[in-house]
Amino acid sequence: MSEAKQKVRVAFFDFADCEGCQLQVTYLNEAFLGLLEHVDIVNFREAISEKSDDYDIAFIEGSITRKHDEERIKKIRENAKIIVAYGACACTGGVNGLRRHYTDEEAKEIVYKGREFPLEAGRPKPVHEVVKVDYYIHGCPTNNDEFVKAVKGILLGKGYTPPSYSVCVECKLKENVCLFEKGQTCMGPVTRAGCDAWCTSYGNKCYGCRGMLDNPAEQGQMDILEKNGYTIAELKQKFETYNMCRMEAEKNG
Amino acid sequence: MRYVYLDKDNLGKFFDLLKEDYKIVGPVKKENKFVFAEVEDVSEMSLEYIPTILPPKKYFFPQKEKLGDFNMGDTKMSQTSIEMQPTVIFGAHTCDIDGIECSDAVFHKDPADPYYSKRSKMITVIGYECMFQCDDCATCVTMDTHNPKAGYDIMITDAKDKYILHVNSPKGNEIIQKAGELLENDSEEKIKSYLVKLREEKMKKFKVSLIANYNELKDIFDGSYNSKIWEDVGKRCVSCGNCTAVCPTCYCFDIYDDVKLDISGGDRTRIWDSCQLKPFAEVAGGENFREERSSRQRHRLFRKFDYSVNKYNKFFCTGCGRCTRTCMAGISLIDTVNDLTKEKNNV
Amino acid sequence: MCKCNQDASKTISVDSIYSPMEGTIVKTENMTETEKFFEIKLEEGKPLGDIPGQFVELSIFGIGEAPISVSSSPTKQDQSTFEIVVRNVGMFTAALNKLDVGDKIGVRGPFGRPFPIDDLKGNDLMFVAGGLGIVPLRSLINFVIDRRRDFGAVSILLGCKSPNERLFVDEIDKWSNLTDINYACTVDKADPDWKGNVGVITTLIPGVDLDVNKTYAVVVGPPIMYKFVIKELLKKGVPENKIVLSLERRMKCGLGKCGHCQINDLYVCQDGPTFLYSEIKGLEEAL
Repeated sequence: MSEAKQKVRVAFFDFADCEGCQLQVTYLNEAFLGLLEHVDIVNFREAISEKSDDYDIAFIEGSITRKHDEERIKKIRENAKIIVAYGACACTGGVNGLRRHYTDEEAKEIVYKGREFPLEAGRPKPVHEVVKVDYYIHGCPTNNDEFVKAVKGILLGKGYTPPSYSVCVECKLKENVCLFEKGQTCMGPVTRAGCDAWCTSYGNKCYGCRGMLDNPAEQGQMDILEKNGYTIAELKQKFETYNMCRMEAEKNG
Repeated sequence: MRYVYLDKDNLGKFFDLLKEDYKIVGPVKKENKFVFAEVEDVSEMSLEYIPTILPPKKYFFPQKEKLGDFNMGDTKMSQTSIEMQPTVIFGAHTCDIDGIECSDAVFHKDPADPYYSKRSKMITVIGYECMFQCDDCATCVTMDTHNPKAGYDIMITDAKDKYILHVNSPKGNEIIQKAGELLENDSEEKIKSYLVKLREEKMKKFKVSLIANYNELKDIFDGSYNSKIWEDVGKRCVSCGNCTAVCPTCYCFDIYDDVKLDISGGDRTRIWDSCQLKPFAEVAGGENFREERSSRQRHRLFRKFDYSVNKYNKFFCTGCGRCTRTCMAGISLIDTVNDLTKEKNNV
Repeated sequence: MCKCNQDASKTISVDSIYSPMEGTIVKTENMTETEKFFEIKLEEGKPLGDIPGQFVELSIFGIGEAPISVSSSPTKQDQSTFEIVVRNVGMFTAALNKLDVGDKIGVRGPFGRPFPIDDLKGNDLMFVAGGLGIVPLRSLINFVIDRRRDFGAVSILLGCKSPNERLFVDEIDKWSNLTDINYACTVDKADPDWKGNVGVITTLIPGVDLDVNKTYAVVVGPPIMYKFVIKELLKKGVPENKIVLSLERRMKCGLGKCGHCQINDLYVCQDGPTFLYSEIKGLEEAL
């Protein structure tokens, strides 16, 4: 690599989200400083105040909900060579997707109980429903090890593809006791891996925040979850928490 | 070859003696399961255990293992080494010892795997004979792995009031020499005939759950490639890879490069992989030679009962029962093999 | 957790079969939009020591490794180099595509069972290559041309999707002009300048005059091609044990361990990649 090589210019943008994933990135600490040898961060609300429209890679957090958000993300797409959706809201619509159960009017009524609310609200969409996304880093919030792995891959030009298989694969390699074998429930079998079984390795269950895995075994997955104590109603709810947008998209072909 | 007695009260002292020279890993309780983990005191171990979540193959062939370090832009590895200390696997069941023999066959076969070979030289295996069947998932009697045969340095057998230690290697002999004072001698003939009696007695506590016997298994598989039973298994399978991860004889792996943050270098690492995952048999152009779950499940069991016999002259099923125990979908090796057997017998 | 023995942890050096040799790229050529040719020299010009039909694992640290067929014959003039052709289809091949003359690349190998050259000797040969299949087959064809008198009649049948996807056009032109070689080429879809045959490769087979008692057919191409070509060859009377194929799998280790290339009890990286049709006939996952 030549010394004159320019650093890659990176920007972070947030849309409808809790900024928790951005906060995760700031927790990278030393790893973050290591990355700074290769990148210039030109836009990052949680960490710096400067702003620039000249960047190579745009990290997008949050789902796209309003008309002017759509215009903003399209503008970012024009500016950026690479768009990375990170966090559940951006990758799958995340929890925001649940908003799709309601019309705009219903949602306003539920949240503001008749009070006047001057802001526009809209139907939440994962980023790829509005512009082309090059890479995805799933999770609610994102896992920093995976985040770093993905960023390194993108900087090296090989990109990053999250695993297509379930969290169980990573969980078993860590020799965790299966939650089902303790009489508990877990979304691990239907959830995309890549987090290195983060929650289940620390005594929690998997909530499915990374969204459904590719190519799920239709009946097989349901049988397992049902057999292990989920009711159909519960299952529907669990799936919808992070997969509402995908389920709708699949239903509409 | 040598047989000695160890007083049960002396097991702790025997353990402490080992600890002077070795790191000791043994079966310990983890919630309602067991795992092999490092132990400091004999009391931490649960010697009467249901097979651990992962078999002891993880000490020979770790889940993730660095093959070497590299500097970016180089073509040769800057360093290839393993980090390990002399280790005793204490309390390995005979089924898992059979599993080690299977992975030995694979990794020692020319061209031998240098990482596995180095690790295996650092490991001493002290087995612990099962005097009763762990649970209904095990098929060790049919697989003929319920009694100690070979593959260990020392085998401990519970002989009611004391332990019988069978020394089966120079390494084992060294340990026995050191432990001299703790042990009791008796004539080999006497101890051996006592063992025969103990094993006759223990057989009453073991169940045979496979319809087919050892000699029939290969034939059953030879004729079952196109059986409908695989489709049924495939329908229930969710490709979670649990069955292959917990299997003592599964050895497939993937290799990837992990780059350091400053992108100056990194390491090339291998990680356990699974033939149950969809991308496993995919090639560059996107063609997948085992696209269906049914063909992946069939591949798994054929690797245990058929291909391995052709290639290594050995069944690669140790009868430990882990795959049946771990399967969330309830796919049981016993049921599958019995269904195949019935199908063959009916034809 | 035990702390007492931690000092005893030893670093044990491993003489690793996974550590690549160093290769230097001495020549490249963009053959088509997606295929690039590389000539690679090992340290001190040490010959690779391959036999036609074998493959190497190429390595770029940070990216990974990939199995790649050797395309050159060990009989070629400059034995200090070997040649490969790579189609840009994935993460590794994309990175490889960016390399140029002077760049270094890691090389492990050669691996695998070569074409059964001793059995081919004294026989007539019919080469059938579809698409990228010409890349590994080229090593054997050039071997045969260089040792021409060891073999009987030779015919070469080539097929590819379109004229601009043809590889080694100049070299193949020379083959086609050799009086002792029977040559035919076809494309699935012609362009206005194309004057040759149009149609799938199987259409060329009936036209070849061959003595089935002493002919070996060596076939390399995409999986779908094998099914049709083999059917045609059998129809023509070529025996199953005289049809030689080369299979593509994702060999990760090349050492018969990692399991990725396994077909039944065969490991393509060691038992193959070349097989007689009689050896893999009936193995559902092979073709």
